[in-house]
Amino acid sequence: MLTDRGQQEMVGFILIVVIVMIGLMVFLIISLRTSPEKLDSLEVGNMLNAIMMHTTDCAIPAIPYYETFEDLFKSCYENDDCAGVNRPACEYLNETLREILADLMDTEATVSAYQMDILVAGDEGQEGLLRIFEGNCTGTALGAQRKISAGAEDLIIQLRICKGED
Amino acid sequence: MKIQQMAFMLMAVFFFFVLVGLFFLGISFRGVEDSAQQLQREQALSSLEVIADMPELNFNSVTSMALDEDKLRVMSGNLSEDYANFWPVASIKAYKIYPKPESFVKCPAVDCNYFEVYDSGQTNVQEYSAYVSICKKVRESGYTYDKCEAGKLVLGVIDVDG
Repeated sequence: MLTDRGQQEMVGFILIVVIVMIGLMVFLIISLRTSPEKLDSLEVGNMLNAIMMHTTDCAIPAIPYYETFEDLFKSCYENDDCAGVNRPACEYLNETLREILADLMDTEATVSAYQMDILVAGDEGQEGLLRIFEGNCTGTALGAQRKISAGAEDLIIQLRICKGED
Repeated sequence: MKIQQMAFMLMAVFFFFVLVGLFFLGISFRGVEDSAQQLQREQALSSLEVIADMPELNFNSVTSMALDEDKLRVMSGNLSEDYANFWPVASIKAYKIYPKPESFVKCPAVDCNYFEVYDSGQTNVQEYSAYVSICKKVRESGYTYDKCEAGKLVLGVIDVDG
């Protein structure tokens, strides 16, 4: 009789432990699941605005109608050529965008990686026009995006950065 | 004997649940410190936006976070001392970051890229920065356009923690 009660207690205790372990596992799975990336960081938004407003040396259709990066995104989409630098807009954009991103990120000690995407959003979904990625992402991911009109379609400019410890 | 066993069992179960609770709390509060730091940064950025959008520095009163280069030159020159009681911060600096300068040349000077609008001279200062556009009106071949360059606005506030 005593052994039976002892066994019952043991089984009850093990049952409690198993139930608590299952609860913990469920909690861990929920808490460790990667949270959806936020694309509304004020910090990254300011960085993206500063890039988009920067005046480039690409003039379309002629000097001195210099384009900002925002204009240059549209000109690249429309396959225009830059006067002044005498190159296709996309080629010039690819080169200068890499330079400005590298220079801006140099002023941030904690940025481990960054990625910029220029996407064309139409009726059939989104298609990539240009992607710049540098680094190895560690730490917190922050992002921001802007939408600009280019004819019948929209261009979505996304910037994501990974920030490590201060 | 049975009461002893029961008491021992109850204590074991109690300690077990305490440990589980501590583990749960540890995981729950793991991200709180990061979130607090992120919120503090966002708050500092909002303050930077207020300063950047003041008519004394803003480019065309329409675009947010765009500084007028000509105003910066004036404010970092002789007017700097006159505005000493105006600014609600310990220091205001702005500099151009693209194309990456080899060295920072303080304005007013030829080809300068660094504007010290105000500096109270206080030492215990915490600096916050945000990306801005530094713009000016340029006339070329009879056409006037806005030339903007990427820059950074740095505000110093008195460090109460330090």
